[in-house]
Amino acid sequence: MTSPRLPPQLLRLVLLTLAIIGTYSVARVFLTPATFGQFGHYRGAALEEAASRPPVYAGAKACDECHGDTFAQLTKARHRSVSCEACHGPNRPHVKNPDIVPAKLTDRHCVRCHLADAARPAKHRQINLTEHYPNEKCLECHVAHQPNQSK
Amino acid sequence: MNSSCSRRRWLGWLGSGLGWLAALPAAKAAKSTVKNLLTSSGAPKGYDPTKHQWLMCIDVDRCIGCGLCVDACKIENKVSASPHYFRTWIERYLIRKPKPGQLALRGEVTVDSPNGGRDGFPPTLVPKSEILKAFYVPKLCNLCEHSPCSQACPVGATFDTPDGAVLVDPEYCIGCGFCIQACPYGCRFMNPDTHTAEKCTLCYHRITRGLKPACVEVCPTQTRIFGDLKNMTEKDPVQEFIRNNKVFTLKPNLGTEPRVLYANIDKEVR
Repeated sequence: MTSPRLPPQLLRLVLLTLAIIGTYSVARVFLTPATFGQFGHYRGAALEEAASRPPVYAGAKACDECHGDTFAQLTKARHRSVSCEACHGPNRPHVKNPDIVPAKLTDRHCVRCHLADAARPAKHRQINLTEHYPNEKCLECHVAHQPNQSK
Repeated sequence: MNSSCSRRRWLGWLGSGLGWLAALPAAKAAKSTVKNLLTSSGAPKGYDPTKHQWLMCIDVDRCIGCGLCVDACKIENKVSASPHYFRTWIERYLIRKPKPGQLALRGEVTVDSPNGGRDGFPPTLVPKSEILKAFYVPKLCNLCEHSPCSQACPVGATFDTPDGAVLVDPEYCIGCGFCIQACPYGCRFMNPDTHTAEKCTLCYHRITRGLKPACVEVCPTQTRIFGDLKNMTEKDPVQEFIRNNKVFTLKPNLGTEPRVLYANIDKEVR
């Protein structure tokens, strides 16, 4: 023998190490999600999954498409800063199918914002339910879009 | 040693090892094509997260505590209706006058948030003569630039997206709850159904479609202003907000660098 030979016990060790590293790298390729590392050290598809849910609130633009006249009136009214869906509720079902009628307004909607409380800003209109026409319904006197106008 | 462990066998092993290595990229390509075929979703196309940087501004002086944002958030994101789970909520701060003889500018501070403010707030029972000042503070995920929650996650399930949101990957989350403890703003909770961590996603499914987050959409007083740092317009509401107000962040001493900016908050707010 002229050429130097690896002792067999060492050779077995080298082969075992190579096998372990090989199995690990192959397993890693198959176990790592395809989009891992697309944006950072996480699954890029998670962003897409978070974005894939359909919205429930349609947004004011969707209301404007059909109810343009009411929408234009509202931009001049006292309640112009209030978005449609704040009072009328989430309306994507109604946008998709106009036969599904949005929920009806009740006095609870008014009281939610306008009930007197020390923590509300002083310039915000507030009423005390025991003093301000306790037995009447809000919408009997007030127009919802323009509440300082009486019916 | 006999000649069975010869150069020939040695080369054979080496060859097969090299073969495995060569097969790696091919396997990788094959796998990604299969994955792409299987995972087509209803996500909006054409949204590039690297081209946006979202932030939210909150003007505390404008908040009237109606709770519409809390209600909208729960409906939009199907958050459990139980009064322990909120992605956003409103706190009512009551700062009393100092007691007679008490050498202080401000008295006792009480904070309440009945059902997160979802049903509005009942009028406070503290008589007006005792109150020094009172105000509402809407709270949500602070969109930290250096988010403690994603640093605490042991499995990398929470991450900062390139557009400024902090999201949870429910497939990776093991529900250990470390992030819930790590969040200094108390913005996380364990989803009672999936037992994974849940938090405000900035309505990621809405902002990727060009809509505002649900809480911003329904806010009747424009307390919440939502904007995109990378796509500022002329007279951008965010810029106007910063120009017209003294702007703070919550717990700035923690170095989390929140992207939720608050205007007009008192030092009692944490």
